[in-house]
Amino acid sequence: MALWAGGVLAALLITTSLVTVARMDAERQARLDHQQGAEDAFTSQPDRHPHRMVHYGHYLFRLPSPLTAMEPGVDPVTGQAIFLEGHRQNTAAGSEANRSAFLGDLSWPSPALLYQFFVPLLLILLGYAAVVRERENRTLVALMSQGVGGGRIMSGKGLALGAAAALSLLPALVIGGRAVLMGEAWSAVASMLAVYMGYLVLWCVLVLCISSWARTRGAALTSLLALWLVVTLVIPGIAVHWAATTSPSPGKISTDFAMQAELRTMGDGHNASDPAFAAFRDRVLSQYDVDEIEELPVNWRGLVAEHSEAKLTELMNRYAEQRMTQEEAQARAVGLFGWLSPYLAIGNASRTLSGADLATHHRFLREAERVRFDFVQSLNRAHAEQMAYADDINRSRDAAAERRTRISADNWKVLETFEFEPAPAAERIERALPAVAMLALWLAAAAAASVIAARRLGLQ
Amino acid sequence: MSDPGAQRLEADNLCVNRGGKSVLEDLSFSVASREVYALLGGNGAGKSTTLLVFLGFLPVARGEARVSGKTASAHPNEVRRCAAYLPESVSLYPHLTARENLDYFLKLAGIAPQATAVESALDRVGLQSSVRDMRMGSFSKGMRQKVAIALALLRDTEILLLDEPTSGLDPRGIDEFHGLIRGLSDAGKTVLMVTHDVYGACQVADRIGLLRDRKLVAEFEAPSGGRIDTETVHRAFGGGSL
Repeated sequence: MALWAGGVLAALLITTSLVTVARMDAERQARLDHQQGAEDAFTSQPDRHPHRMVHYGHYLFRLPSPLTAMEPGVDPVTGQAIFLEGHRQNTAAGSEANRSAFLGDLSWPSPALLYQFFVPLLLILLGYAAVVRERENRTLVALMSQGVGGGRIMSGKGLALGAAAALSLLPALVIGGRAVLMGEAWSAVASMLAVYMGYLVLWCVLVLCISSWARTRGAALTSLLALWLVVTLVIPGIAVHWAATTSPSPGKISTDFAMQAELRTMGDGHNASDPAFAAFRDRVLSQYDVDEIEELPVNWRGLVAEHSEAKLTELMNRYAEQRMTQEEAQARAVGLFGWLSPYLAIGNASRTLSGADLATHHRFLREAERVRFDFVQSLNRAHAEQMAYADDINRSRDAAAERRTRISADNWKVLETFEFEPAPAAERIERALPAVAMLALWLAAAAAASVIAARRLGLQ
Repeated sequence: MSDPGAQRLEADNLCVNRGGKSVLEDLSFSVASREVYALLGGNGAGKSTTLLVFLGFLPVARGEARVSGKTASAHPNEVRRCAAYLPESVSLYPHLTARENLDYFLKLAGIAPQATAVESALDRVGLQSSVRDMRMGSFSKGMRQKVAIALALLRDTEILLLDEPTSGLDPRGIDEFHGLIRGLSDAGKTVLMVTHDVYGACQVADRIGLLRDRKLVAEFEAPSGGRIDTETVHRAFGGGSL
């Protein structure tokens, strides 16, 4: 049965690896094309009023890193595209979860999921009887009577099981090699492979320990399946509930409602006569030493748009940072459960090393916001400097004034070329260290247990 | 070459508990080099337990079991390397042939098996040539016993620990086995066998220890050049006159 399971899993690993590589390649190319298309569409707009371009908006796409072919991380659920426009911080869109019949992780199995979730199950099926079968068949005494110590027997069994684990990592090795060819740092790839090998070795050691302690094959299999269930399903479930309870996060919609309420007190940037801008108007009039806004050498409406956008962005950033801090607190709370579940620890390490973790997504949001603010303010500056206030306020009544408020399309070249890169490998490795330390502790504890098991092996 | 008279196996006030019950109490005896010692007793007397203690497979509550001067519980692997053990119920790998089993176990013991030595050992124990390449799953208990005895011979250890070694052997096989044991003793080997076969023990042993209710209650020694009297032992064993 174990061999059948191994065959099925091998086929699944190979297929999943091929599909995920092809899928992430297609995603990468599609996002590159969309990014280029969005930039072309923006810069090819004709001469027009700059505020129309503020609302015409622009798209930014997060390119998947080469290692996401192994570990897509949060990519399928967070969204990879953001529509940038004035006065708004839009949610990232275009996630796999929104685009397809997404049924959770299992509807898009990645190589990482198979290694984290299913390969341990295969190792259990292959190895649960490794030692206990020798005891049940009384061959253990025959083996040990030859002067073979428990340590050698456990090591031999461990090597056999470890070989199966190493063999299962071949697709990961190929994906890693391909990632290096695509420009990924070899240190990130080597760390990723080492972390997975450590995780699978941990399962090999746990399987052998329980196989050596159990009195019967049935007891060994039952105990190992119970351990697998607790580690991969029960503890992660508890961790998520714990994190949601201890670090509640209101979410984007609730945050937006609260923010809108505060926004209403700040004045409408589209209405330059809004009383909220009275103090700003006085300051500007004083700065330019004039009495009326019509006497200003710049377009008052543009100044208001610029001023309003800055204040608004400050507010939106405060709420966004607050939300991201709460999400990070939740992620940290879940991450701490890695001390109890190596499945959670490997997941955290894997997502961080592949550059597909929550922190990377947050960095994308922050970088996208910086791009949004810069291009909106550039257009607002053009609004203030490149047209007369009189033309601006009369453009809906006077066709000639309307034509004069159309500024040159050269102004649309304010967009900088955006290409999101994952953090440098050294930074990702450093951020993965806590999760790696959890795995190392698990491995050390399992190794200690295996030494005790080896010493007790054969005792009747 | 073994030193005649040197104590190879020593049980010194051995007390052993299993599952909270005492299974050996103050057991003391020793087996000298070149000596064949038979530990005789009924079911549950503690015979097999004694062998497992000498191999370091059972923890000792009190006392000490030494093999060639080494404490079994402290140095189990060293003890097992210098003593070949033949269990009552031989368990070798059923999916391997007799030759493959010997090859595998000898390699585990650190011995590079020579084909001629393997054939010679299988000849000595009387295993038919035609079955030597058959899987052991189809072997009778006696055939498995012969393969295990061949393994013990091939390991060529100073000491042999035999648990009911003739069970499963036919009368001819038993006679041949007794001859084999005497030959091994003459060749300098030390043999401790446990059995409830009074006749067989008297045939082959230089000394017999009688275990009853977890204790050694009597010892019998063969007269110089002769064998231990079967009837005396049988009577002491509780079987009345033969």
